[in-house]
Amino acid sequence: MRLFLATVCMTLWMLAATSLEAIPLAHREVLDNGAVLLVAERPAIPIVVIRLSVRAGAAFDPPDAGGLANLTADLLTRGTAKRTGPELDRAIEFVGGSLEGEAGHDGATISLSVLKKDLALGLDLLAEVLLQPAFPPAELARRSEDIAAYILRSEQDPGAVASRAIAELLYPGHPYRRPVPGTAESVRRITREQVAAFHRDNYRPDGAVISVVGDVTVDEIRRGLMGRLGGWSPPGAARPDIPMAPSSPPVDHRRITRALTQATVSLGRPAIRQDHPDYFPLVVANYILGGGSASRLYSRVREERGLAYSVYSFVSPARHGPAYFVGLQTRLDAVDEAVGLVKAEMARLGREPVTARELEQAKSYLIGSYPLRTDTSGKMAGLLAAIEENQLGLDWPDRFKAGVARVTAADVARVAAIYLDPATFSSVTVGK
Amino acid sequence: MRLRNLPRALALSWALAVASGASAAPPSPVTEVTLDNGLRVLVLEDHRNPIVTVQTWYRVGARNEVPGKTGLAHFLEHLMFKGTPTHGKGQFARVVEQNGGQDNAFTSHDITSYYVNIAADRVDMVLGLEADRMRHLHLDPKEIESERQVVMEERRTRTEDDPDGYLSEEFLAAAYKAHPYGWPVIGWMEDIARITPPELRAFYDRYYQPNNAILVIVGDVEARRIVRRVREVFGRIPRAPAPPPMQAVEPPQPGERRVLVRKTDARSPIVYIGFHVPNYQSPDAPALEVLSSILQDGRASRLYRRLVYERRMALSVGGDYSYLSFDPNLFWFSGTPLPGQTPEALEQGMMDEIERVKSEPVPEEELDRAKNQIEAAFIWRQDSIHSRASTLARFELARSWRDSESFVPLIRQVTAADLQRVARAYFQIDRRTVGVLLPGAAPAAPK
Repeated sequence: MRLFLATVCMTLWMLAATSLEAIPLAHREVLDNGAVLLVAERPAIPIVVIRLSVRAGAAFDPPDAGGLANLTADLLTRGTAKRTGPELDRAIEFVGGSLEGEAGHDGATISLSVLKKDLALGLDLLAEVLLQPAFPPAELARRSEDIAAYILRSEQDPGAVASRAIAELLYPGHPYRRPVPGTAESVRRITREQVAAFHRDNYRPDGAVISVVGDVTVDEIRRGLMGRLGGWSPPGAARPDIPMAPSSPPVDHRRITRALTQATVSLGRPAIRQDHPDYFPLVVANYILGGGSASRLYSRVREERGLAYSVYSFVSPARHGPAYFVGLQTRLDAVDEAVGLVKAEMARLGREPVTARELEQAKSYLIGSYPLRTDTSGKMAGLLAAIEENQLGLDWPDRFKAGVARVTAADVARVAAIYLDPATFSSVTVGK
Repeated sequence: MRLRNLPRALALSWALAVASGASAAPPSPVTEVTLDNGLRVLVLEDHRNPIVTVQTWYRVGARNEVPGKTGLAHFLEHLMFKGTPTHGKGQFARVVEQNGGQDNAFTSHDITSYYVNIAADRVDMVLGLEADRMRHLHLDPKEIESERQVVMEERRTRTEDDPDGYLSEEFLAAAYKAHPYGWPVIGWMEDIARITPPELRAFYDRYYQPNNAILVIVGDVEARRIVRRVREVFGRIPRAPAPPPMQAVEPPQPGERRVLVRKTDARSPIVYIGFHVPNYQSPDAPALEVLSSILQDGRASRLYRRLVYERRMALSVGGDYSYLSFDPNLFWFSGTPLPGQTPEALEQGMMDEIERVKSEPVPEEELDRAKNQIEAAFIWRQDSIHSRASTLARFELARSWRDSESFVPLIRQVTAADLQRVARAYFQIDRRTVGVLLPGAAPAAPK
């Protein structure tokens, strides 16, 4: 069980800091049923990654059925019209591949990894779990029990506890407030009828993104997919929308007591998405504040004072509730000092202009590190999907680089004064 | 590890990646050179993307420590980022990031590894940095003091406040009496607090030498030019006396060992079972590798299928076999009971599966699946230059990078009879260590 916020945020954060080569990023086309197909051919190694996402995330959970999207995605691979769960496991693992269903806040994703020689089998299985999941009652009983147990167990993970709590503070009245897996009580209540209906209503091709990376050609994968997904068509009903999160929720601070030797602190506030004019200045400001091991937080809190092993900040441009987070872990008696240093650095960034050297270094890193963000097929598939899901356009990497290059020290100070103002942050402290 | 967001279970983790590593694709045109000073250099051209990985691996880890000085190797790894006379405090990270690169490092029982992934045209700059810190580290006492606090924070995160980390430490300490695999890579808190600057300096001088390192470079570079450049940059460093051999040998285990620990903030029990087994140097290693896959790799594996899926005893199960471990290591399993199930019952359930591979031959389909999984994982490691390089490095450090070419063929030769034979030989009660973590406080002492 991943701490849900971190999952959402890390994916989007990768996107935030990513750009690409001048060669076209990928081939893009809209299939007859409305799904978008993205293909990046990487013929050197005989492997293929496919990431198929639909708008079927936890934000669509009915209020009394928290965890429905998560359970539905999880159960896709637990039995189809043709195969039982164990038969699916054996089929994909026999060829050393993997096939998983997983939900986030906005979407649900089926991820397939196979060797090129087993692509036909992989596509068969992918189509089966997408279009003909059986949701066997016994499997539903097993998995809801497992998920409830994982939720209870995650209470021993201070990072997971802090993530859940900060989400409650940042997203009052909004679906992002609720953890993707639901609660131990809500997930146990979910019925097979609810799962089947959720699948029927939300696993639709309009809004779907199929991102393919590896040793395939566009023609080959289009044929392979069309032959299997022919019957997949959008239902008549309009798709529900996810509302935007409140832009200024009340600032609040929460302490959660645990018998630990270290405190986990999470600070958060609403922020902006990639389509906002302040986005690139915020990306640069964030890098200077807490984006890497040359950052101010790393230097002050870790290197100079030895107060933390982990101290960081990041922009999470989540589609329906972008946010900014700062986090650290420190020994119990050092919390006030460490948090004080962090807040002082946040405030200073909005008060004093950054040095020319810091600015240049941030830009060099953000622009120069982009080829590393797609150095595996899985990372490339994730980037393509995120670009499409956030409607950024395949020229996003170039725009990102250009946007970062234009940022001035005055821009950084201006956005930092707004988005890094410590008084606007809610906080959670898990510890004593 | 220097940065945040790192994998857990420092003590037990690194060999897993190794076990399924290396070049399965076309014969790898690896250029190998040993400089006069003993530095071993491997270069592999990979022109798919304009990037390069530069990895410097030292043959030193917690394995080379002694009681009272545990954690030295890992502490030193942190200090390797603290600067030299040429590159001042904090400059390593700054220079690398300024050039669009990403760097990090990690320490295991066997090795300490540093890497930089960066645009290929910056490779010379990175070679300069690595050569500089191989011999010219500052080790300023003031920097050591603040970094000591950082390492203690790292230990709190990984061990004190993490039930898995906490149990694995106690479990290893029970499994090993004589060999350093029994103490944690990060070291005991008391040692981290006590280690002195002169001890760090002596450790650095002994182990951070060209004849105790390998340099692996994979990416969009020209091998001949790189080798020339490496000779220029590293060739000036003199050879040092060979580091002392690590002489500890773990004696045969005379009987079962059990350890029970409690953790107030844990929410569920954990069960570990480990058996002493040989490493890659044994002809039994490929069969153990296949057995590990059959037992715990994926949802079709025996432990998952039987204990999580069918018998509903476990919430999760896992395990590992350290094929490329420098010295014989543990073949271990872990499990978390489902709520309502006891750790005793889960331990028995795990043992039932271990006994079954001894008493019944593994069916052909399962054997083939395990081999296919190992081979596929091996091919997937070709996907990035980073994993290509670390695969070469790990085989080279164990014996030779060429072993990576015979790894899959050796796996393919394993028979069902081999599996049964090695299971019977090594999965014996006398070789077993069991560790159990229970949530909550210890019960009051009887009156």
